[in-house]
Parts: sequence; structure tokens; C-alpha cells
Amino acid sequence: MPAQSQIHARPRRVPLLAGRLSRPAGAHLRYRWYVPYLFLLPGLSLYLLWMVYPLGYEFYISFFDWKIMPGQTSQYIGLENYRRVLDDKYFWLSLENTVRYTVVTVIGQMVIGLALAVLVHRVFIAKRLFRAIYYLPVVTSWVVVSFLFQFIFSSHPGGLANYVLTQLGLLSAPVAWMSETKTAWVIIYTLGIWKGIGWSMVIFLAALQGIPVELYEAAAIDGAGEWGQFRRVTLPLIRRTTLFVLVALIIGGFQVFISVYLITGGGPLHRTEVVLSYMYDRAFDRLWFGYGAAISYILAAIVVFISFVQMRFFRQTDEE
Amino acid sequence: MKHKMLVVVLALALILPAAAVQAQGDGVTLQFWHTYNETSPENEMLVTTLIPMFEEAHPGIKVESVPFPYGEFRQTLLTSLAGGEGPDLARLDIIWSPEFAALGVLEPLDEIMPDFEELAAAVFPGPLSTNVYDGHTYGLPLDTNTRVFMWNKTLYERAGLEGPPATIDELKAQCEPIKALGDDIYLFSDGGTYGWAVLPWIWSFGGDITDPEITRASGYLNSEATVAAYEFLAEMVNSGCFSPSFLGGGMDTGQGYFNDIFASMLDGPWMFPIAEAQYPDFEIQAALMPAGPGGSISVVGGENIAVFKGSRDTEAALEFLRFTQSDEYQLKMSEVGQLTVKPALLEDEYFQNHPYYGVFLEQLQTARARTPHPTWTQMEEILSDAGQLILRGEASAQEALDAAAEEIDSLLAEGL
Repeated sequence: MPAQSQIHARPRRVPLLAGRLSRPAGAHLRYRWYVPYLFLLPGLSLYLLWMVYPLGYEFYISFFDWKIMPGQTSQYIGLENYRRVLDDKYFWLSLENTVRYTVVTVIGQMVIGLALAVLVHRVFIAKRLFRAIYYLPVVTSWVVVSFLFQFIFSSHPGGLANYVLTQLGLLSAPVAWMSETKTAWVIIYTLGIWKGIGWSMVIFLAALQGIPVELYEAAAIDGAGEWGQFRRVTLPLIRRTTLFVLVALIIGGFQVFISVYLITGGGPLHRTEVVLSYMYDRAFDRLWFGYGAAISYILAAIVVFISFVQMRFFRQTDEE
Repeated sequence: MKHKMLVVVLALALILPAAAVQAQGDGVTLQFWHTYNETSPENEMLVTTLIPMFEEAHPGIKVESVPFPYGEFRQTLLTSLAGGEGPDLARLDIIWSPEFAALGVLEPLDEIMPDFEELAAAVFPGPLSTNVYDGHTYGLPLDTNTRVFMWNKTLYERAGLEGPPATIDELKAQCEPIKALGDDIYLFSDGGTYGWAVLPWIWSFGGDITDPEITRASGYLNSEATVAAYEFLAEMVNSGCFSPSFLGGGMDTGQGYFNDIFASMLDGPWMFPIAEAQYPDFEIQAALMPAGPGGSISVVGGENIAVFKGSRDTEAALEFLRFTQSDEYQLKMSEVGQLTVKPALLEDEYFQNHPYYGVFLEQLQTARARTPHPTWTQMEEILSDAGQLILRGEASAQEALDAAAEEIDSLLAEGL
């Protein structure tokens, strides 16, 4: 708000001095209500075309037995797709897997990300270098690292993970990582955490840099040790950042797709299926597009609901 | 002045591409999508020999070859067709033809080709039948093949074994000597429990997937013989005789075979050109599928060629399709492991003296095709999942197959 009122106020205060220069360009722009929209138009139209329109269309599709081939007719079936999705054991399995993935990777990313942020915050030499190194996985392509992880966790005795772990004596025999449900999850979780740590670290680091040093000095004088300072000064002051990171990571966790699709393809037996990989399978493999659209909307509803509850919860505790 | 120049340049820029299109106006470029393997000589044969041959004989028709990896092809094709960006022609796995025909995207050749009868009479009836859906024929066979038993001579010799097993019982007896070579050496391997892998075992044990009319799976998929086939596979995988690649995600079967890790496998004629190109010192040994109570029955593979509705130029596409049925095309492709579908050609000297086609032709006498039905992809998923449950010891063969049969029954009742 303050920024806006300043802009409005400026021409009135400086008419005599600025005179001709400021008036024709700036003065009557503010009378035309549509001008801001003109500036928004390029971005907004792309947003409408590529985001809002497909979303709306997808919602429409979710009420049909949708046929994709030209010339076939799609039949309106009301809520039938939603009913069938909620009745589908594989949907529930994929939802359970998605929730588990989200819990594991969000905790992993936040704890390790925060720990790294605290460490990097204290490093004085080559701070930028460390920051860049930890951030690197974030900017790499999901597709590329998914394939890399597939190679690392090859079931062959000469696969990197198998080789190193057997040489170290941590494994007695090479593991067929991809064909067992549990070990397949280990790969997917590890990838999810490794790739996300850098992002939460950078956000936490920014928050840490905003905490005045005096607070730590005061706490130290009051007799707080390292752990005490972390708990009583750092954590409370980065609360809002923590909330932001939590919400963003949870939303991201629910949208896990590429790594699962590329590493296990949902197998064995749909046991590593997550909601989006299952949606993709039903829509693009079986051509059940109405069904897939219904799955997407159910997932979207869940994510919106969770974010809403989180926001409310944090606002409440903030007010206390 | 500057502005005028700019306008002229812009105007030219707009005209030139249009002019370029005009220039090739009388010609047409057909898109031919296929899964000829890019790392094997078959794709090279198509691109450097056969297509130029066709283009020379048909001025004005150009053919653009677009290769895809097998695993992605069906889905890419489906989505492209839905978006109206499909090819003019495609080489389809015989098992996909009924599905695409049911979707209404293929031209019924028996209706639009005046010389259809003649072309159809020149090919094997079995492969031809995989193009039939609802009384019409939506393609012509391009190549045929089957899987035979390939054994690794080095490993067999090291294990002191004389030769390939004639029966499944003999195969089982070969496990011990092979395992004696080392824990990470396996008697046999395959990449999963999909139809292409398990059907030879099911049929050779005397089992089946559905009744001959493809109306139900109960009584066939869960019959005593099919159960016995799965119990055999489970026993072999669990005892370490067959490789854990059956559970998916393991070592590539061909790679393990060529690198003396897998002593045997079932595979097709294309392995010979691959060996020649990548493992020149390796000598593939081929024999018939080991026989069980149901005989020595392998699975028929192969591809069809079909023309799509909405082709840029249907007549030109049909002309290319005719070319693929010619003796020239069929013989050239046979040189690179794509066995011909024309019985008349087998009389040719080339096949009479061929080093490896003999065993495939013999196996084809009894080989059977996967269920030709539009819902095959879904049936196969059910089949494959049941196989995984059994091989992982999470369900008995009877339990898993009872449940799978029931699922396939309802699938067949519902239709696509």
C-alpha cells in the first residue's frame, strides 16, 4: 500500500519544478483504469491460455467417458469417474505412497537443509562455493538424475551402489534394487531428498542472515549454549520461513512424478505407484482420460485442503 | 529508406517459405513410423537401401522414416493420433493391430485396395489374421518371427553339458551343472512375466489364457496345466536356476547371454545380426523350445503395416505398403533378421541354404500368437502382475491365476 500512495502523490507535489517533463508522460496514465491491464496482457493471456483454459477443460473432461480419437463421441457420465476412482484400490495405494513419500522427503529435506544452512552460515571461507555446490542438484534435470540414479542402483553386482556397499561389507550380496518394493523406495526417497536439500538450504540461509547478531550475543550473556541459542533464538525467528518451506515442499511432494515414472514406472505390481504416475498410466496408457482427469482433481482438492489447513494452523499459533 | 528496406525484407521472409512449399507441391512426403531397431542393421537397410529404391521408382513420393524405441511407440502413436498428428503408415506389433483397428484410426484395406485379395493370398494366413478386426482387414503382415531356445556354447561346455535340452525336464536337469560354475551364472533368463516371456512355457505345459473364441479366461488361465507352468517358473527362479531378471529391473537378457552370464534364453532371429554387429566372435546356438506335456510351442511375433485414416495421400501410402509386400523388400529385410511373411519366398535358394532361419521356420510350424484382442494390453497387465505375485512367493499359482482369470473375464465381458 505505501508504495502505491507515493506514486499517486508525486505529481501533485512537484508540478512547478518538474513541469512539462513529468506531466504528459505520467499524469494522465493514472486516469485510465485499463492501462495496468495492458501491461499484464501478454503474461496474463499466456497464463489463461496455458493454465486456466486446460484446467477448466480438464474439469469438464472429468465428467465424461472421454474419447480422444477424432470422430469418436464422448459420453457424459456425471460423477461416475470420481466414484470409480474412489473405489479403485490402486488409487488408494498410490495415494498412500504419495503421502508416505511426502512425509519422508519433506522431513529429510527440511532437517538436512536447515542443518546445512546453519553450517554454511558459519563458514567464512568460500561460503558461496558451498552454497553453489549444495544448490547444484536443484538445477539439474529430473530426467537426467533419474537415469543417473537408475545406473547407480543397477542390480548388477558391478552397479555403483552394489559394488561400494558390498566392498564396505554393508551388503553381503548385491541387491536387485528396482525389483523389490522397499529398495525401490529407498532410491526414490534418496533422489527426492538429495535433489531438494539445496533449495530449502538456500531459503533457510536467507532467513538466518536476517537474524540480528545482537540477539545471539544477548542470549549468550544470558547463559544460553549453542543448542539453547538455536532453539530459543534461531528457530522462533525463522518460523515464517519454516512454514513457507513446509507448505511449498508438501505441495511439491504430492506432485512427485518424473522420478517414479522413470525409475520404477510404478512397478513392481503398482507398488511404487504415486498418484500422478497412476493418473498418467490410466490416461495415456489406457486412454481413460476422464478417469485420469478425475484423479487429478481429487489430488488437487487434497493439496489445496492441506495447504489451507496449514496456513490456518500457523496463523492461529502466530496470533497466540 | 531504412523502413522500406525492412518492409521488403519482411515481405520476402514471409513469401519465401510459401514458395518453398509451392516448389515441392506436386510431391508428397509420407511419414512412416516404426520400431526397426536403430542400433541394428535393419534400420540401416530401410533408410539407405529400401526407401531410396522406392523413391526412385515413384518420383514425387518421398518417405520419411521415423524410428521409435519399442517401449514408447504405442503410447506416442496413440497421443499423436489423438492430436491429429499421426503418421501416414506405421509398422505395428501384431498385437497392437486389433486395438488400433478398434479405435477406428486404420484404413480397412480390404475395402479400399482393389488388389487386396492378391496381396493377401501371397502371405501366411496366420500373420495376416492378426490384422482382422470385426470382419475387416486393417493391415498386411510385414515380417514374422518366433522365439527359439538359444544356448551359450561357452557356458555349456564349461559345465560339461552336451547340448540343448529337448524337453523341459532335461532343461531342469541342466541347472545343477550350470550353477556349479558360479552363483551369479544362471541357466536361463527373461526380462519379466509379460506374455512374450511366459506364453511359451504356458503353452508348452499344455495351458492357455482364454478359450479359442476369446470369451473367458476361467478354466484356461487357471487350469491345472497353466498352474503347473507358473509353479515351474516360480521353482526355477526361487532356486536360482532362472535369473532374478524375471522379477523385472534386472540385467538385460541379451547382454547377459552374450557376456556368459545367462546360459540360455528364448529370442528371435534379429539376435543374429545384432551378434554379428556387436559381438563378432560370439556364436549363437539355436534349438527348438524345450518340449513339455503340451509340445514345443513358442510365441509368434512380428509386425504388420497399416495405413492411417487422414493420411496426406492415401494412394501414395498404399503404394508404399505394396512395396513392402514385394519380393525385393521381403528378401532384403530377411537379410537383417526380419523373416519374410511370403511362403513362396521360402523356396528361394536364399532360405534353403540359410545358416539360421531353419530352426525358426520349424518352430513357426507349432508357434501360436498372443491373444488377438483389442484389450490385450490390459489382459497382459493382469497376466504380468499375477506372474509377479507367484514368482515372488506372495500368492500360490492357483490363487493368483484364479483372481487373474476372474479379472480377465470381466474385461472380456465389458469390451474395450
